[in-house]
Amino acid sequence: MRRPHLRSLLPAGVVALAAVGGLAFSLTAGAVGRSTSVQTAADSLTPPPIHYVTHFTTGQVKEGEVLFEANCSTCHGTRAEGSAVAPDLQGLGPATVDFWVSTGRMPLADSSAQATDIAAFVASLAPTAPSYPDGIPYVNTKDANLQLGMRLFVLNCAACHTITGAGDALADGAYAPSLHRATSTQVAEAIRTGPGNMPVFGPGTLSNRQVADIVAYVTGVIQHPDDRGGLGLGGIGPVAEGFVALLFGVGGLMVVAFWLGERA
Amino acid sequence: MSTMPETSAGTASGNGAVAVRNGRKQSPLDAGLTWLDDRLGVAKGGRTFLDKIFPDHWSFLLGEIALYSFVVLVATGVFLTLYFVPSAAQVVYHGRYKPLDGVKMSAAYASTVHISFGVRSGLVIRQMHHWAADVFIGAIAVHMCRIFFTGAFRKPRELNWIIGVTLLFLAIVNGFLGYSLPDDLISGTGLRIAYSIILSIPLVGSYLAEFVFGGVFPGNGDIIQRMFILHVLIIPVIIAGLIGAHLALLVKQKHTQFPGKGRTEQNVVGSPMFPTFMAKTTGFFFMVAGVLWLLGGLAQINPIWQFGPYIPYKVSYAVQPDWYMGWLDGALRIMPSWEFAGFGHTIPFEVFLPGVLFPGLTATLFVLWPFIEQKLTGDRAEHHLLDRPRDRPRRTAIGAAALSFYFVLFCASSTDLLANFFGISLNIVLWSFRFLVIIVPIVVGLFTYRICLDMAGAPRVGKRKRAMVVLRTPEGEYYTVESEPRPGEGHEELEPAPVPDFIEGIAEGNGAGETEPGVRRVGR
Repeated sequence: MRRPHLRSLLPAGVVALAAVGGLAFSLTAGAVGRSTSVQTAADSLTPPPIHYVTHFTTGQVKEGEVLFEANCSTCHGTRAEGSAVAPDLQGLGPATVDFWVSTGRMPLADSSAQATDIAAFVASLAPTAPSYPDGIPYVNTKDANLQLGMRLFVLNCAACHTITGAGDALADGAYAPSLHRATSTQVAEAIRTGPGNMPVFGPGTLSNRQVADIVAYVTGVIQHPDDRGGLGLGGIGPVAEGFVALLFGVGGLMVVAFWLGERA
Repeated sequence: MSTMPETSAGTASGNGAVAVRNGRKQSPLDAGLTWLDDRLGVAKGGRTFLDKIFPDHWSFLLGEIALYSFVVLVATGVFLTLYFVPSAAQVVYHGRYKPLDGVKMSAAYASTVHISFGVRSGLVIRQMHHWAADVFIGAIAVHMCRIFFTGAFRKPRELNWIIGVTLLFLAIVNGFLGYSLPDDLISGTGLRIAYSIILSIPLVGSYLAEFVFGGVFPGNGDIIQRMFILHVLIIPVIIAGLIGAHLALLVKQKHTQFPGKGRTEQNVVGSPMFPTFMAKTTGFFFMVAGVLWLLGGLAQINPIWQFGPYIPYKVSYAVQPDWYMGWLDGALRIMPSWEFAGFGHTIPFEVFLPGVLFPGLTATLFVLWPFIEQKLTGDRAEHHLLDRPRDRPRRTAIGAAALSFYFVLFCASSTDLLANFFGISLNIVLWSFRFLVIIVPIVVGLFTYRICLDMAGAPRVGKRKRAMVVLRTPEGEYYTVESEPRPGEGHEELEPAPVPDFIEGIAEGNGAGETEPGVRRVGR
């Protein structure tokens, strides 16, 4: 398990879920009557496509503060208020901070629990701005629709990340990174927070279910493609194929011709 | 019942065994051939064919790589036509590739996915077909370089050069059509570019594009059937016919050869078609087929199931064409965005110049090269002896410059991948190519010219080097001497083998003491 602390979070998550479910139950029960409320209660028992962890323990916040002081405050300031060389992090929410730290975009390339601790500390400083998710997304890909995920991926992601997810250079030094090593949480964080040049795909653009479909396609088919037919050649298409055809095909057969024919 | 076949077979062989011609008994094979000869007169042509002399230099085998790749292409292509459905009709895929299960797509794409997943050995045949196409055009290009740099296109072979250039461009067009047929996301993008290129032709472009595609892109779906019949019937038949003409001219005009011992403008020295060359070339065919089979089985090419069906409003980044289209794609990429707008019309020079005019000029220059060179050198004589490239510094320099020009354009078709791989700005890569495409050919041309001159001036150039042996005297002084010649280094010590006299017309060419063993010579 990549995030060992998640286990400790689970009970809290379940409690929170039950509370939300209970609230929804009592609200709808009051509004539209018994039969619908039973339906809603049944829905709340199936896990949601994305579970956003919004609340962190004081232990995590304290640990995050220590880490932030030691590693981030030099540029971002002790209260994450930003400086001439680094942006203000207040209000960006835990998902943004977790994504930038855990993927190695900041000097501290730590994808373990410590990234979440730092995110927890930064989130504790100010309320998250409405354009960002106020929690770290944990994606349940079990019920995701791969076919829908592929369609959404081709429509929204392939134009930069390429159809095989290999990533590529964009104009003016920007680039779309490879998706081959991203975790499901990182993919969801990137979709929701729009790091760097990437646009934000908020809940009005893609529903949680659709994000889960995309995440399932990326972590499933993109990261583990059906590479039948031999060596995958990096999934970058005709450039690698032309190289192999000319070097091994034509080149190899020229060696054979050289062997068969006279040399002088 | 059971005796019937035996009886008839016995009669046939009995007739053959006792058949008599010119007072000699004939074997069944001879009898059969005699029967054919009496009716078709195949003996004369067959004699010419079997006696065809092939010089043994390895570079003369390059064209055969292309020939045998074409044979593999036809064989694998026939297999693929049994399963491919050339139709844009929308179907819902239910097959073995789960991520596409239940997805709506064209029948062309669905059948290609089915060939890859559901047809026994379908994927390896599909991949062989694609690799064979890549190797086919690569071999044509390498073969053409050999012809160009050795001057084999000179009189009387200009026509065969033109046929060869036509074959190259037909092969490129057919390769692109085949690449476009599966109707996957990547090839659909390529087709969209082709549509735009047709569209860019002044005045007639928009009419022509709609005529070809049956409407505004993506048209009414007819384009897949049209490309299919071009790809599997019309162009292959033309290619096969031209290959036949290419080889017929080769037999008629006889082979060129490098200058050497006993080789003159009046003769051809080499192995006869039968049996030496026949054995060699048959082996070579199996090796070409074997290499293509290995590539088809070991290296993945064009995994269309990962790309999904083509839908015009969807696009993937990092799309390149197959390598033989790279020079055109590169030209399109690095062309500055110039266009003319006025009089109610727009002429997009940014597409028209690199997409239409440039390949047109390329084809014209290639076709006309033998005549251009004749004009420049004033040399209108027949040539059967080949040039060493260094002995023709100007032609070699021009060829090298042209080659480097197309190579830079070819590299420019992967600007995005280069930028990504080296972590530099795409814009810098693009601008670098705009300069490189002008600078590199000039530098390469001048450099080649200089090298040719220097090599031609060096003593003993082209001769096999002898090893130098370092010796030390008892006083401690070092000196070097040339080693003894290795066995087989000079053929002059070997006895020339007598040429069999059953080849008519060979006797006058049999200069004693000049022919190498196992080698025949015929007059032109």
